[in-house]
Order: sequence, then structure tokens, then C-alpha cells
Amino acid sequence: MCDIPSCLTNVCVLYFAKSAELSGVREELLQVDTPINSQDLWTRLLGLRVLQGHVVLAVRHQYVAIDDQEALTLRDGDEVAVVPPLSGG
Amino acid sequence: MEVTSAMADEVDYLKTQLGEKEKEIAALKTKLAAFEKNSTSVPQLLDRVTPLTPLKAKAALSNEDIMRYSRQLLLPELGVQGQLNLFKTSVLIVGCGGLGCPLAQYLAAAGIGRLGLLDYDEVELSNLHRQVLHGEENQGQTKARSAANAVRRLNSTVECVPYHLQLSPENALQLIQQYPVHSNNVPTRYLVNDACVLSGKPLVSASALRMEGQLTLYNYDGGPCYRCLYPVPPPPETVTNCSDGGVLGVVPGIMGCLQALEVLKIASGHGSSCGQQLVTFDAQSARFRSIRLRPKQLGCVVCGEEPCVTQLIDYEAFCGSAATDKCRRLNLLSKEQRITVQDYKSIVDNAEPHLLLDVRPLVEVDICNLPSSLNIPLSSLEEKKSEHMQLLQERIGQLKQQIDGVCWPPVYVICKMGNDSQKAVRILGKMSGTEVDNIKVKDICGGLMAWAQWIDPKFPQY
Ligand SMILES: [Zn+2]
Repeated sequence: MCDIPSCLTNVCVLYFAKSAELSGVREELLQVDTPINSQDLWTRLLGLRVLQGHVVLAVRHQYVAIDDQEALTLRDGDEVAVVPPLSGG
Repeated sequence: MEVTSAMADEVDYLKTQLGEKEKEIAALKTKLAAFEKNSTSVPQLLDRVTPLTPLKAKAALSNEDIMRYSRQLLLPELGVQGQLNLFKTSVLIVGCGGLGCPLAQYLAAAGIGRLGLLDYDEVELSNLHRQVLHGEENQGQTKARSAANAVRRLNSTVECVPYHLQLSPENALQLIQQYPVHSNNVPTRYLVNDACVLSGKPLVSASALRMEGQLTLYNYDGGPCYRCLYPVPPPPETVTNCSDGGVLGVVPGIMGCLQALEVLKIASGHGSSCGQQLVTFDAQSARFRSIRLRPKQLGCVVCGEEPCVTQLIDYEAFCGSAATDKCRRLNLLSKEQRITVQDYKSIVDNAEPHLLLDVRPLVEVDICNLPSSLNIPLSSLEEKKSEHMQLLQERIGQLKQQIDGVCWPPVYVICKMGNDSQKAVRILGKMSGTEVDNIKVKDICGGLMAWAQWIDPKFPQY
């Protein structure tokens, strides 16, 4: 057992392109467990299911594979970016 | 007599019209003559892919080359060898739009050997705010031709090959094999990606929409291809393009310039540092971010160890939508749920009580609207925003009193092109009798742009 502060962390989620439209915000603070696997982190981001398979998820500017269930250790203030490709030319 | 005076009016009107048309014809003839006079020196516009002669490597720079390129020759990163490398490089630009224009401009200015300029569209007034190679006088001309002319004015030593065609699985490989470096900007990304992987060429890809831009270098130096990152195409209804979403012209300008930079680094032999990276540009905060991507995937269907895509496929079927970024027309409703703009015009003319609901976003309603319309954006209907639901119920209530309850109050829904209005009709149909009073809800086919085309030519088109 651990007490809550050591298991939860605040990350800053940045939404780009279509994900900003779907989530309705460009960035938000999110309290998540750590360590957390990439799939669980992805499901914490609401309303983005439609983008799966067509989005780049990055933690601290580093690509994270959603379906590989990578274990991620997050720290307070970490930047999580959701970047679907842009469709415009 | 009334009748003859009306006829005389009609005759006068027709004469004026005829006079105007004659003037138009004369102007077109002059324009055509001017073009034909110049056409001898302009490269021929190609409507199919033909074999090209390989570019000859130059052994040394001429004095004129040295003068023209002196400021970049001084850079140790480029130097004489880099410049000679540029001279023997061909680049294919897929799309001469908001990204393709600055890209072609800077590549030509820097002295690239050959530019393939591919576009299937014509220049329109609404392109000019971002597609900076085209001018007012080029409206109606093919973009490929217009871009080639502009490039030739800038640097006549660059060989331009304008292609007026749509990239397809039939022509893509032949085309791409002739150009070592490619850039693309249209939603034919899977097609271009696969063609680049199959012919072993890097792809410098950029995109821009609203106030955002992205740049990625695919299939370069062990980095991923487009499919490694995005194995599944997005559902067609989630794709926004420039004509729905808008874009500030300088944003594709910046991204096209970044693209030009990476192409020049690769072409000169210096190499790109953007491999395995996704660069995002947020124009609102003027911030760039660089995301380190994963390397190419062993399991990738096209660039992996056991690829199953070994030739080009049907990309429209794969993506579930047409490959051009022209507007798709939805067809969600039955005939009884739709009326034409002509029908709606007679409803207005007969002063039949009704509610006109405009479901476009506020920013578009500010551009133009029909005076009697109530604006509730589609997104508010989808989310059932309470203040909007109240407003809607209020207006339906008023209408109900007006028609004295003999039938369900008619609600006509309009948007720009007639797609969102159909979605709204579906939602309102479900709300009718539950969240709001019973209504008879119909879609106005083709939206405000059909209204502008068929009913009111003074209504702005955008
Ligand atoms: Zn791949």
C-alpha cells in the first residue's frame, strides 16, 4: 500500500489538431496514476477513441505506442501531447 | 399598355446583357492572344506522365551561378558541392497550394535542377490569401501552369514540369521514380507514402490547418513511414479540410518554407536532422515542438520486414472517401426530409410561418447569413447545450401560437453546403416530441451556397 500523493501525479496534456476539437480544450492538467501503462493513459483522455490508430501520443516529447501497453513513469508537470495528423494543405 | 412596356423592358435588358457578354468575349480573346504569344517559351502542361531525360551534373559553377547564389555559397553547410548537388536534383511537388507555393518558390530560388509541379485544380479567388505564387490574373488557369510561370519568372534556369493531373495508383510510381525527393500536402498521403516506400525515396511531408502546422520526414534514414505512425486511416467524417476549417495563409507559408529547408538539406547532401521527428507549429503561441518518433516498424504493412502492400492499391476504398480534398456530399436523409432552395424561396415569398435554423458555427454566421435565421451551431445541438435548447423551444413555442396548432411547426435547417444541416435534421428529428415540442423538420439541400448560386447571386460565397 502507498499513500495517495506518491501514486498520483499531475501532467499537462496538450491537444493538437482534431484532438483539440474533440476534447474542446487545447491543454489541461490531468491527475493520473504513476506508473501507468500507455493504454490506460490513453483511455484517461476523453472523447478521443475515434482517433486510435491515427494519432501520435507523446510523453516528454517522446513517442509512446498506445497498443504496446508501455509502462510509463510520470513526474509532476510532464507534458503529454496528443497529435493527430493535420488534414489541410 | 402594360404588356408592351414589360416586353420593351425585357428587350432592353437582353440588349444590355448581350453587350456585356460581347465585352467579356473580347476580353477573353485578348487574354488568349497574350497567352498564345508567350506560350512558346512556357513549358508544356502535361496531362500524363512521360519519361524525362536525366538531369546532367554540372562540373563547375558559371560566373552567373556564382553571382546568383553567392550568399548561400558562403555557407559552409552548402558550399560549391552542395550547390552542384542541387542542380542535379529533381523534386516533385504534389499540390501547388498553400504549402506547395512557398516550397516551389524557395527551391527554385535556391537553384534546384528540376521541379515537377502537380495539381489538378484551377486558381480561384479564395486561394490567393495563401497560395502566393498565383495572382489575380491567373484565376481560372490551372495551378500547375500558373505555378510554373511564376517559378520561371523567378529562376529561368530551373526546369519546370507542370502536371495537370490527379495522382493515382496508375501514374504514381512512374512519376515518383523520376524524382528523388518528394513533398506532398494532399490527403492522398497513403498513396504518396506507399509510392515513396516502394521506390525507396524520402518524403518530406507538411500540412497546415487553422492555426497549426506539422512537418514530418518519412521513409528517411531508418525513420518510420506514414503507415508506421498511422496504420489506420481516420474515419472520413473526422477529416476537416481548409475549405471547412479555414487556415491563416502565413501558416502554410511557414510550413512550406520549413519543407523547402529540409528538401534543400537533403538535396545538397548535407542531410536532414528531421528524420524520425514530428515537428508541430502552434501559430497562436508561436511555439514549435519536436516529438521524437519511433523508428520504422518491423511489422509495417509497406516498409516492414514482410510487407503485404507490394504494389499500389485502391486508396479511395482503403480510406473510405474520395482522395481529393474536394467537398464530400453526404446523403443521410430521405427525399421527404429535404427541400430545394427553390422550394424554400417560395415558402419565404408566400410568407408561410416557419423557423429557419442556421447550424453553422458563429464565425461563419458573422461572414453572411439569411436575416430571419436563428443560429444554433450543430455542435450545440449535438451536446444539447441548455441555453440553446431553451432558445429553440422558445422559438418553436412562438411559431406554434402563430400557426394556431393546426399542424406541427415547420423547421427548415440550413448550413453552408448542406452536410451539417442533414446531421442536424437527424438530431432534431429525435428531439421532436421529447426535448422540444413536435416539429416537422427538413433540410435545405445544398445550403447557403446553393442559395447564392440559384436564388440570390448577391449572397456572398466563401
Ligand atoms: Zn512503415
